[in-house]
Amino acid sequence: MMAVLTLLYDPACGLCRRVQGWLAEQPKLIELRMIPIKTDAARKRFPELNHELTSEDLTVISDRGAVYFGPKAWLMVLWSLTRYRDWSYRLASPELLPTTRRVVSLISQHRYQLSRVATLAR
Amino acid sequence: MNLEIATYLLYLGISITLTIWVAHTLHKNGRIFLVDVFHGNEPLADSVNHLLVVGFYLINLGFVSLALKLGYDIATPKEGIEALSVKVGTVMLVLGGMHFFNLLIFSRMRHRATRQNAPPPVSPDAFTPIQEVA
Repeated sequence: MMAVLTLLYDPACGLCRRVQGWLAEQPKLIELRMIPIKTDAARKRFPELNHELTSEDLTVISDRGAVYFGPKAWLMVLWSLTRYRDWSYRLASPELLPTTRRVVSLISQHRYQLSRVATLAR
Repeated sequence: MNLEIATYLLYLGISITLTIWVAHTLHKNGRIFLVDVFHGNEPLADSVNHLLVVGFYLINLGFVSLALKLGYDIATPKEGIEALSVKVGTVMLVLGGMHFFNLLIFSRMRHRATRQNAPPPVSPDAFTPIQEVA
């Protein structure tokens, strides 16, 4: 059984920091650990991971070493939350998965612009 | 004994019997469900089951006693039976509604319990070794 999920997040993006704060307050079924991308901590813990890729989208790694990238990583985060586990299955269903991928990719690609619009940037 | 009193007594008799029967069904069959929800913790399942049934009794008997008053006079046995059937029918519908509400609560609880051990929604993209740092 999975007990911990490690999130590799981008600390330079205001939106990501805001989401991280929100995540910290959510009731969880699985513990979430946040590590900023491309830091020594991240490289030491996952020595064989392609760390250049982690700046492109959210990366989530289970305590068994399973890597989830992009939309799948977002779904795993939802899955770890008590209130949103049902939604992770809904959004991962064959009918909704393409839309989920599109929306998540859009948000990830434009996260700096979104942060600026929401005046969350430094 | 006049007709109205007879109607009231019959109404009370039928309604209370029905309530006891439904509560008994709920108590007997809900237990299996609750034991599963609480992962085989039987004392906890019995306790929750008992509390649910007490609530069920209070609400239903409360409704039965509030709905007792007829509000008009009965002259013939025919009118008495008609009045009785309206009253008992209402009580049965309320009992049915309460019963399904209880089933909803049971299935919600079960859904929550099974969700806890549910597998991830997506399969991993890759696997990477983890270096545990002290």
